[in-house]
Amino acid sequence: MNTTQLAPFVSDNFSCTPSLARQKLSIEFTGSGDMHAMTPLSEYLKRTHEVATNLGLLEVACDFRKLTFMNSSCFKAFVVWIDSVKNLPAPYKIRFQTDPTIHWQRRSLEALRRLAINVVTLEG
Amino acid sequence: MSKLEPGRPTLANDALVRVLLSYSPRVEQIGAVCDLLASLYVPHVRDPDASSRLRLVVHELLENLVKYSTASPVEFDFCIAREGAGLRVAIRTENRAAVDRLTDTEARLTALNAAHDPVAHYDEVIRASAGRREGSGLGLARIHAEGEMLLSHLVVGDRLTILVEGTISPRSSR
Repeated sequence: MNTTQLAPFVSDNFSCTPSLARQKLSIEFTGSGDMHAMTPLSEYLKRTHEVATNLGLLEVACDFRKLTFMNSSCFKAFVVWIDSVKNLPAPYKIRFQTDPTIHWQRRSLEALRRLAINVVTLEG
Repeated sequence: MSKLEPGRPTLANDALVRVLLSYSPRVEQIGAVCDLLASLYVPHVRDPDASSRLRLVVHELLENLVKYSTASPVEFDFCIAREGAGLRVAIRTENRAAVDRLTDTEARLTALNAAHDPVAHYDEVIRASAGRREGSGLGLARIHAEGEMLLSHLVVGDRLTILVEGTISPRSSR
């Protein structure tokens, strides 16, 4: 895999599935972001950042509509990623697609939005 | 069964749900314990947002027991009781921990409880966590800010007791 490719990650209860179109990368997250997901997610977001910067992407969309839970360690992986993006000279956008019936998402993602209001947007 | 400290037993009687676990914590148990507790409290917690907050709090506390306990058994004491027209939640965890963990936790909980604005404090903890490899304190801050719970603690020797308490609004209760 070169530095412009991002492969899917699939485990028993957590997956990340990327798709790329028109300079925009979308990643669908499914399952539960718990302790088992922590290390793979952290690595996945590092890799996502490499790909996004190498390809000069305008936006990365994170589809959380099938993500039922995220623990604080996985939350932190997003904090680290967003912090890296917001410190770029020309940061790409990060858009979270949410399901309003999954109630933790509003609270957690609003906190991520406040971390980088010029980078992060919420949808749903 | 009336422990639930530190300091002040808040839910001595009238518990709708009371579960006291003493066990060797493992990551594989977390989902099952969360599901068990949810099956017990959901009939009393109508509001899905309140139920979601509660699950987040339980999950974070159970994970902390796995991550930071240095010996078995640990204790996890969960209680929901009626309070007026609403519900009061109290969850106590007790575990042995390394000295640096105890010091770090005490500092974080002291700062958290001294903060005038929970959301601003949470944002500050989030920003600081970006540069930390381990022990960011995000779990405890999340319980406070997103779970809308109060935290208190007690350290005796190498034993750490954390008490999480909060009220679920009357609209949420049956």
